[in-house]
Amino acid sequence: MKCPKDYDNTIENKWCPGCGNHGILSSIKDALSKLGLAPHEVLIVSGIGQAAKTPHYLNCNFFHGLHGRALPVATGAKAANHSLTILVNSGDGDCYGEGGNHFINAIRRNLDITLLVHDNKVYGLTKGQASPTSDLHMITRAQPHGVILEPFNPLAVALALKAGFVARGYAGDTEHLSMLIQEGVRHRGFSLIDIMQPCVSFNHVNTYEWYAQRVYDLAKDGHDLADYMAAMNKAREWGDRIPVGILFREESPSFTERIDGLKDGPLVSRTYDPARLQKLLAEF
Amino acid sequence: MGIDITIKIGGEAGQGIQTVGQLLAAACRSAGLYVFGINDFESRIRGGHSFYQLRIADRRVRAPYHRVHLLIAMDDTTLALHRGQVLPDGLCLLNSESTEAEGNVQPVAFGKLAREAGGDITANTVATSAAIALLGAAPELLEKILHRQFAGKSPKVLDDNLRAARLGAEAVKSTSFTYGFSWTMSDPVQRMLMEGSVSLSLGALAGDCRFAAFYPMSPATSIMMNLAGWQDSFPIVVEQAEDEIAAANMIVGASFAGVRSLTATSGGGFCLMTEAIGLAGITETPIVVMNAQRPGPATGLATRTAQADLRMVMHAGQDEFPRFVFAPGTPEEAYETTARAFDLADKYQVPALILVDQYFNDSLYVLDHDLQAPAAVRHHTVADAAMNNPADYLRYDMTASGISPRAVPCAGKARVMACGNEHKPDGHSTEAAELRNAMVEKRARKLQAMACDIRPPSVSHPDSKIRLICWGSTLGVVAEAVELLRRGGTDAGYVHFCDIWPFPGEASAKALAGAERIICVEQNSTAQFAGLLRQETGIAASQTVLKYDGRPFYPVEIVSAVMKAGGNP
Repeated sequence: MKCPKDYDNTIENKWCPGCGNHGILSSIKDALSKLGLAPHEVLIVSGIGQAAKTPHYLNCNFFHGLHGRALPVATGAKAANHSLTILVNSGDGDCYGEGGNHFINAIRRNLDITLLVHDNKVYGLTKGQASPTSDLHMITRAQPHGVILEPFNPLAVALALKAGFVARGYAGDTEHLSMLIQEGVRHRGFSLIDIMQPCVSFNHVNTYEWYAQRVYDLAKDGHDLADYMAAMNKAREWGDRIPVGILFREESPSFTERIDGLKDGPLVSRTYDPARLQKLLAEF
Repeated sequence: MGIDITIKIGGEAGQGIQTVGQLLAAACRSAGLYVFGINDFESRIRGGHSFYQLRIADRRVRAPYHRVHLLIAMDDTTLALHRGQVLPDGLCLLNSESTEAEGNVQPVAFGKLAREAGGDITANTVATSAAIALLGAAPELLEKILHRQFAGKSPKVLDDNLRAARLGAEAVKSTSFTYGFSWTMSDPVQRMLMEGSVSLSLGALAGDCRFAAFYPMSPATSIMMNLAGWQDSFPIVVEQAEDEIAAANMIVGASFAGVRSLTATSGGGFCLMTEAIGLAGITETPIVVMNAQRPGPATGLATRTAQADLRMVMHAGQDEFPRFVFAPGTPEEAYETTARAFDLADKYQVPALILVDQYFNDSLYVLDHDLQAPAAVRHHTVADAAMNNPADYLRYDMTASGISPRAVPCAGKARVMACGNEHKPDGHSTEAAELRNAMVEKRARKLQAMACDIRPPSVSHPDSKIRLICWGSTLGVVAEAVELLRRGGTDAGYVHFCDIWPFPGEASAKALAGAERIICVEQNSTAQFAGLLRQETGIAASQTVLKYDGRPFYPVEIVSAVMKAGGNP
């Protein structure tokens, strides 16, 4: 039996008190222990931002790389060893801004990883600029007249790209979020969990109170996980009511399952064969 | 003088110009001859003007010749552009239905004959066959090549091409060509024939590369296309990434997870990869990156050649971290250096960067010796079994050599924590000043041992008065220039650098000792290598021979630059 404590380490946590990241961290520990995964069996890949610090606060394998580039690193790692269980911790700026192209293409690959986007709708690490998901008209020091760009809708984009597991979680409901993470990890193929996360320092619009008044659970609302158009409608629902839960789920062969050459086992456990190379050389 | 003939085939892109060159080369190789082919084309798929220039000799040739013995003009433009290069007693075959020869221009209706044979597409076979016939070879030679070339295609394709070959030979039956020679076919040596890019791809397999990610960019794409074609027979996955940034980060991820990984690009793509190269540097993840140079900045000349990225590649990425830089000069060296780069990157956990260029990648070489697959490949990772207590494993353990044992994630109980922020020995980030210094110094310590794995430059005439310095792909032209200079009584030799960083300072000083004139030959406008040499050794080149128009050097250009400065000192 694994327990969430197995994932604890002694590294000093550098997030602000009250940050939504604390809830996400405890949901990850809970989910991994419920999945029966030992710390040495998990690889977490992250980019740069407050969310990307997550693996430092977990007992696990990790690769903490560059801003926006967690998904390509995860793609390479998965190609090298498709038996790995990989989670990616990213933020709205890291994943949808700097890494937007990789977000699109990781979905197109149906990379079998679980992507957790800590979406606080603001840049935390650089102190409060608008993010790709900031609401229209949100005022920041960098956008003193308010945000004039339409917000990026990660769920609708993921659905448009035929992502097989599209979910939204809320950092304020750790039990529900843990369930989503477990389902995401179990899902064969790409899993997106966009996590609404209050930022107590820089986002004074989308607060815990603001979310508490709006969030409702799709599972209790009779939502059909296989209904693509219903999922698309739910992805666009924002304002007085905000749905959380799994919007859409449909399995199809993942990236590494689509590569013929990987049917003989992970690349990392294959061996060099001089005879095969000598045969190829003889063709020249 | 033995055989030394240059044939130039020109026409529009899409006319199969390159195919003519390759077919001719294959025929010559099978007769035991040496060839050297260069490919000159524009950044377009159809139309415009491109040419293929093939030098055929009975001895090793590794440079293009500046004159042409036989010009095959598939269009009028080719004749207009290249007629001046044709020797007075040389011959031009012009694709024309006219029956009147004009001077040394002989019309041959390549197009019409091709249609007769079965379709326009066989025009290049008609042209190849005409050339082979003029050179004096038996038609069976080409027929054999065609059988091999079209083995997998429908019988009609082969029949059409065989018919095209017959028509091509017939068309020049009564044309005389001064430079024809007798093809001695008795048991010729079958030497390997390949483009430079192929030697790089094969070298990757010899280095046990298992993952390659790329974004297409001339002139590097062919390296990846070759590997992609071999995926069914080797444990390698080739992934076309969404951009170069992704490609570079993917190989970092794959290497972190335990497989040797490669990306190849040109200068512009390399610019996009620089941050990831720094990531490999600080996370101490081995990667191999090939930069097939072309003229820049920005898009520059997309399909042409240059050696102007040396300084960029040496310094790419912010701050400082150890790396290898190699610039092989021949396909034999490229094969071996690529395999070595994978080993050394793995051994020292650093990026290994290989500089080639369009000229090297797209040129066709007959090899001096057959390439051999290494008997075994040694890997430098560690497993739990090698650790006292895997639970206490430290990815960035402070060692005397600077090399920390590298474990692979999820392979055992050891948790592998890699971080692009400055970090503690366990991989967790830190801002502590003393740890920062310790980590910078740990990484830098690796350079000492890395330098011991660096090979000295290759030297042709150690006691020569004039030393021509070159690096990378220009070895062949410089070597021939040296030969020409010496034949003319000038005491010249070359010093060629393949291993460039860590810089072989002592070996360079030794290779250049006693030289009265040092001439640096480079395809850039600021003599980047000459600057590096001076920086590292204090040795200043007395002259530079530079070319940056995107076209490869001809040996005579180097000879005349040396002679203009006075020849013998």
